[in-house]
Amino acid sequence: MNKPLDHAALQPAAGENRWQHDYAEQIGTDQAVRNRSGVAIKPLYTPRDWSGERYAEDIGYPGQPPYTRGVYPTMHRGRTWTQRQLIGLSTPSDYNARLMDILAQGATAVSLIPCNSVFRGHDMDDVDAELLGTCGVVVNNVEHMDACLAGVDLGRTSCAMNDPSPFTLLAFLLAAAKRRGVAWDTIAGTSNQSDYLSHYVANHMFFRIALPGARRILGDHIDFCNRHVPRWNPMSVVGQHMQQAGATPAEAMAFTLATALQNADDCVARGMDPDAFLPRFTFFFDISLSFFEEVARFRAGRRIWARLVRERYGAKDPRSGRFKFHAQTSGVDLTRAQPLNNIARVTVQAMAGILGGLQSLHTDAYDEALSCPTEFGARIAVATQNILRDEAHLTDVIDPLGGSYYVETLTNEMEDEILRSLRVVEDAGGMYAAVEAGIVQRKIGESARRFQDSVESGAQTVVGVNAYRTDEDRSARPALAKPDPRQMRDHLASFVAHKAARSQEAVATALCALARAANDAAANVFAAVVAAAEAGCTHGEICGTLRREMGFGHVQAMV
Amino acid sequence: MEIRPKVLVTKIGLDGHDRGSRLVAAHLRDAGMEVIYTPPWQPIPAVVKLATEEDVDVIGISSLATDHLIVPKLMAALRAAGLADVAVIVGGIVPDEDEDMLRAAGVARVFHPGSALEDIAAYIREITPAIRARRLAA
Amino acid sequence: MNAALPPLPAPIDLGDRRAIARRISAIENAEPAAADIGRAIAPDLGRAHVIGITGAPGAGKSTLINALLGELLGRGQRIAVVAVDPSSPVTGGAVLGDRVRMGQHGAHDNVFIRSLSSRGHQGGVSRTTARIIDVLDAAGFDTVIVETVGAGQSDVEIAGLADTRIVVCPPGLGDDVQAIKAGILEIADLFVVNKGDLPTADATVRDLLDMLRLRHRTAAPVPVLKTVATRNEGIAAVVDAALAHVAAAGRGQRLAAHASRPGAVAAERVRRLAARDPFVTGLGIRCVDAGSGHAAVAMTITSAQLNFNGTCHGGVVFSLADTAFGLASNSHGTIAAGIDAHITYHVAAQVGDTLSATAVEVSRTRRIAVYRVDVTRADSTLVSSFTGTVYLTTRANEPGHAGHGA
Repeated sequence: MNKPLDHAALQPAAGENRWQHDYAEQIGTDQAVRNRSGVAIKPLYTPRDWSGERYAEDIGYPGQPPYTRGVYPTMHRGRTWTQRQLIGLSTPSDYNARLMDILAQGATAVSLIPCNSVFRGHDMDDVDAELLGTCGVVVNNVEHMDACLAGVDLGRTSCAMNDPSPFTLLAFLLAAAKRRGVAWDTIAGTSNQSDYLSHYVANHMFFRIALPGARRILGDHIDFCNRHVPRWNPMSVVGQHMQQAGATPAEAMAFTLATALQNADDCVARGMDPDAFLPRFTFFFDISLSFFEEVARFRAGRRIWARLVRERYGAKDPRSGRFKFHAQTSGVDLTRAQPLNNIARVTVQAMAGILGGLQSLHTDAYDEALSCPTEFGARIAVATQNILRDEAHLTDVIDPLGGSYYVETLTNEMEDEILRSLRVVEDAGGMYAAVEAGIVQRKIGESARRFQDSVESGAQTVVGVNAYRTDEDRSARPALAKPDPRQMRDHLASFVAHKAARSQEAVATALCALARAANDAAANVFAAVVAAAEAGCTHGEICGTLRREMGFGHVQAMV
Repeated sequence: MEIRPKVLVTKIGLDGHDRGSRLVAAHLRDAGMEVIYTPPWQPIPAVVKLATEEDVDVIGISSLATDHLIVPKLMAALRAAGLADVAVIVGGIVPDEDEDMLRAAGVARVFHPGSALEDIAAYIREITPAIRARRLAA
Repeated sequence: MNAALPPLPAPIDLGDRRAIARRISAIENAEPAAADIGRAIAPDLGRAHVIGITGAPGAGKSTLINALLGELLGRGQRIAVVAVDPSSPVTGGAVLGDRVRMGQHGAHDNVFIRSLSSRGHQGGVSRTTARIIDVLDAAGFDTVIVETVGAGQSDVEIAGLADTRIVVCPPGLGDDVQAIKAGILEIADLFVVNKGDLPTADATVRDLLDMLRLRHRTAAPVPVLKTVATRNEGIAAVVDAALAHVAAAGRGQRLAAHASRPGAVAAERVRRLAARDPFVTGLGIRCVDAGSGHAAVAMTITSAQLNFNGTCHGGVVFSLADTAFGLASNSHGTIAAGIDAHITYHVAAQVGDTLSATAVEVSRTRRIAVYRVDVTRADSTLVSSFTGTVYLTTRANEPGHAGHGA
C-alpha cells in the first residue's frame, strides 16, 4: 500500500545538508565514479532519488507485469534456481562420469557443451587430432549422445544442449529418446545459445552456416519444437557472447533484447501467434563483477521485456512477458595470476545473478583462465552455489535488494542506458540489419577498447594483475585436465567403424531429403535434420550438406 | 627509412573468440605498425601463404581454447616454406607446461592473459630491426 | 648486381612466391636492392593487364574483386592483387587488406595478394605502387588488379597506374550522381554498379549513362555494367569488357603515363602557397596532396575550435574546405579570386577528429572555374559538401616563379 507522498520530507533536510558538508570535508579527493555501462554512481542515495512512488506500475510484485522483482510469485524460495553446470570434456564416457559426479554433488540439470570441432560443424575425423575434446565433448551421432546421457531420465531431467543451427545435438537427443521409449512431449530443456546473431556478432565460435540459412533454420526449429517437443525452449537469446567480447552490461542487455525482437518478428512473419512462441523464449547472460550494476540490469531487463512484449506483439498470455534467463559467471573477469582469488570473484558474480533473479546458474571453476576446468575446480564451483543457497540463505527473500534507494535508482538509470542502445539498433533497421552493417560489432569493439584502457591505465584494478602482485610458485598450480589421448583414439576408431557399418543407403537418402528441404522454402529443415539423425547421419554430414545448400558462414574481420 | 613492423595477427585452430586479437591489432596500428588482420579459423597453409606474400616480420597467434597445441605444426610449415626468419609470438591461454613446449618449437615469446598491450608492441619493435637486417644480409 | 637481390631464375618463376614478395618489400622499404630490381625487370614489362579498381567505401569493391578472381581463375589466369589501404595520418600505422582476404580465392596457388599502406600518401597511390605493379608484371602474372579506397585523389591518380580503370559505384546515387567527382568521370574506362539486386540499381545505371553522354559527346562510349558480386552475376561481362578495352587500348599504356607528370609542378606550387598562408598555418591545416586543379588538406580539431554546443565550429569546417578550394584554384599559377562559395553540413565533427578536404575542378573556362570540395572524417564519413566559384585573373600568384597553368 503506497503511503501518500510527504513532500516536506522530500526537501533536503538539515541532516542531508550536514552529511554533504561532512562528506566533502572528509573525503579528500573524490573521483567521479561510473559503472561499466557508464552510469554515474553517487556516494549516497536517499528518498530524494527514489521514494517508492509508482510502486505498482514500475516495481510491482513478483510474478506480475512488469516483473521487476521476479518472473514467478515464489522465485527461489519456492523453487531454487537450477544448478546447471556446463560440462564438456573429451569422450562421452568421460562426460557421463563427470555428469554423474556433479549431479550427485547437488546439480539439478544437465548442460552439455560440445567440442569446438562440433561447434564448427566438423566430424572428429575431419580435424587435427590434438584439438579434439579439449574443452567440450565430442558428439557426432546418436550413439554418442546416448552414451553421454546414460543413467539420465530424459523424461524428468532438464537438458540444455549448447547447440546453434542446425541443432543436431537436440536431434541426436530426440533420436536417443525415441530409442529409449521416452515420449518427446515429456522432454524438457533448452537449445542453449540457439541465437545465431550473437554468435555472428561477438563470438564467431559457432558459426556454421551463412546468416540467412541460420535464420531460417532457427525459425523451423522453433516451429518444430512448439509442435513436437512442447516442453523444450528452442530460443535462447544470448547476451553472454557480446559481454564477453566487450559489450557493457547495458549494451549486452540492449543487443540481446534487440535480437529477441528480431527473432520474434521473424516468427510473426512466419504466421506464428506470439503467445505460441514467446513463452518459450529464454535468455542467457554473463554476470560480471560489477555487483549492483548486474542486479539493476536484470531488473531493468525484465521490466523492458514485459513492456515490449505487450506493446509490440499484443501478447496476452502472461507467460509471454516473462523474462526467464540462465546466467554464467563471467570468465573474462577471472585471472591467471593467483587463481584461487577467482573463487571469491565467482562468489560475488553468482550472488549478483541470484539477487538479480536468475532462473538457472553456472558458476565457473577457479582454474578457468588456466585451461579447461579440473574436477577439483568444478566441485568448488558447485559447492559455491550450495553455500549461497543453504548457508547464506539467499533464497529466503524475493528480490531482497528491491526498495534500496540505490538499486531502484540504478534500475531506472540502467533502463535508460539499455533503451539508448536499443534505439541505435532499431534506427539501423533491427538487429539483423545492424549486424550485417557491422554497427553492433563496432560498438562492442569500442567498449572493449575502453575497458582495456581502464585496466592498462590502472583506473580499473585487477588484483594480481595490475595491483597486489606476488611472485608465484608455478609448481603450486594443480595438474591440469587433459583428455586421455588413448581414449580419444578409441573414440575415433569406433566412430569410423560405426560409419562404415551403418546403412549407407539410409544415410544417403536422408541427406538427399535434407538437401531438398533446404531448397524448399515451405519445408521444415529441422524436421529433416531430426530424420537424418535417426537415419544414422553424422553431425559433420548434416552440417556439410546444409553448408553446401545454404552457404558457409563467412565472418567479417573487423578491427 | 623508418622501420615499420609488418605484423600478421591471426587465429588458427577451432576457436573463434577474437576480443583479444582485435585489441592487439588496434593497438599495434595505433603504435604505427602495419597490421594484417584475419578472421579466426585460418588453415595453416593459408597463414603460410599470407605471411609469404605480405613478407611480414612477425606473426601473432591468438589462442584461447588449446588451439596453441597445433602451433608446432605452423612452425614446421613456416620453416618448410623458407620463412624461418619470421618471428612467431603466441598470446592467450597457454598452460605453463605448454609454454616450454612452444618455445622449444621455435615460438619467440608467449604472452599470457593480463599482458599489457604496450608490452607486446614494445617487444615487436625490439625484435624487428634484427629480422630486417638478417633478410638484407641473406 | 647487388648481392642483396634475392636470386631469381630468368624469366621469374611464378612459383617463387617468396622472391616476388621480397622484391616488393625491397621497393616498398627503399632497400639498397631497389634500383637494381628496376633495371632487372625493365625488359619484361608490358605483358600484364593492369586493372585499377576504385570507388567509395561501401560500393562493394572487395566482393567484386573476389568474384573477378573466381572468373579469371576459371579462365586459367594467374592474378596478382595489390590492395592499398590508408594509413593513419597521426600514427602512420594501418590495418591492411582485411577486406579482400575475406574471400575464398586468396588461398589459390594462382593468386598473389599484397597489401600496401598508403604511408601518408592521400588516397594511397604513389610512385612506389607503380613500381610494385611493375614487379608483378615482370613476374609473369596475366592480370594485376590494383584496389584503392577511393577517398580523394587516388581516384584520379590511378589513371597513371592502370591499363583499364574500373570505377565501382553503389546503387542509389540518384540525384547524388552529380556528386560524383568530375575527375572520376574523366578517367573511368568502365563503370560497375554492384549490389545490382537492389531496387535502385537500374536507376543508377541510367543516371550514369546520362551523365557520361553529356560529358563525352564525341568520345567512345564508356560501358556501365551491373553486377551482383555475391551471386557471381554479371562478372563474366565485366571481365569481357575489361579485356575488350585493353585489346583496343593496348597493354602497358600505364608505362607511357609514368613518363610525364604534369601535376608535379602544380603540386609544388600549392605547397609553397600553403606554407605562406598565415591563416592556414594558424589553424593547423596541412597540405597533404596537390596537383593541377586539385588539392587535399587536413587538420585535427582541437578544443579551441568548438562551438557552444561542443561540436566543431562550422566556420572551421568552412575554412578547411575553403583552403582546399583556394589552393586548387590557384594551382595553375594565376591568382584565382573566390567570388561565391556555399557549404552544406551533413554531420557534426568532434574534437579530435581528423578532417580532410579534397577539392577537384568541376569546370574551367577562360575566366571562371568551379570547384567541388568534400570534407571527410578519417572513417570516410562525409562531413560537409562545399562548392566554390573563382574568377581567374591573369596575374601570377608567385611573381618570379616560372610555369603558368602547368
